[in-house]
Amino acid sequence: MKLARYHSDKALISLVPLIDVMLILLVFFMVTSTYLNLDMIPFVERSEEAPADAGAGAASEPAGTLLLRISADGQAILAGQPLTDEALGAEIAARIADNPLLSVVVLPSTRATTQDLVSVLDALTLAGATRIRLMQLAAQP
Amino acid sequence: MKLKRPPRRSAPETIVALIDVVFFLLVFFMLIGRLDATSPFELRPARAVTGTDMPAGGVTLAIAADGALALDGAEADAAAVLDRIAARLESAPDTLVRVNADRAAHLSEVLPLVAGIEALGARDVMLVVTPERE
Repeated sequence: MKLARYHSDKALISLVPLIDVMLILLVFFMVTSTYLNLDMIPFVERSEEAPADAGAGAASEPAGTLLLRISADGQAILAGQPLTDEALGAEIAARIADNPLLSVVVLPSTRATTQDLVSVLDALTLAGATRIRLMQLAAQP
Repeated sequence: MKLKRPPRRSAPETIVALIDVVFFLLVFFMLIGRLDATSPFELRPARAVTGTDMPAGGVTLAIAADGALALDGAEADAAAVLDRIAARLESAPDTLVRVNADRAAHLSEVLPLVAGIEALGARDVMLVVTPERE
């Protein structure tokens, strides 16, 4: 038996305006979007209990806080000793093994750059420090 | 004189493939791009390997290496920036504030502003970093 072939329907709506709109949208998204891969490090976190908790912790564990300075040239200084990021990570990891609740207070020089600070925070986080605080001297020139 | 209208031709079949490709490109660029206000100056965020995914929304404060400031793409001085962030926080106290500081910006340009924003009552302030190596 021979089946009759259906006659294909022609498109009733023109596709050209659709293509125009899509091309405009495409160009819009290509031009206005930024394609840099961005992450974030929290400065201030949304938790009401954190300051009270930290205050209580600092009061009950006087030995559990470490002051880490960042010099103007970006060098991390722990107890007067300049450390590279690797040495800092090893030192912090060892201290955290002793005291998992160790909190680290970072006091950067205002002449240090953002990258210096982020590198030190990176090293601290990689070493396992979870209680990191940033301090600045208000009257420092 | 009466002009003869050319016979209307239907779209040829190959146009469907073009639409497919354009749709694909459209979805691709919508997915991988971020629709953020760009800063009016050149800015390279600090590199960090321990950064976490950045949530969308909020306001973005850009700080150039020389200390120039821009809030959501519009240049402003420190007082104007703090005023506008205060206004935003008043209407929406949970507003997220992103600090996009150049990696070479001195902390003397960055930290006092962050302290000022924190003093305004912001509960979410974050520093923008990039995991990319160059």
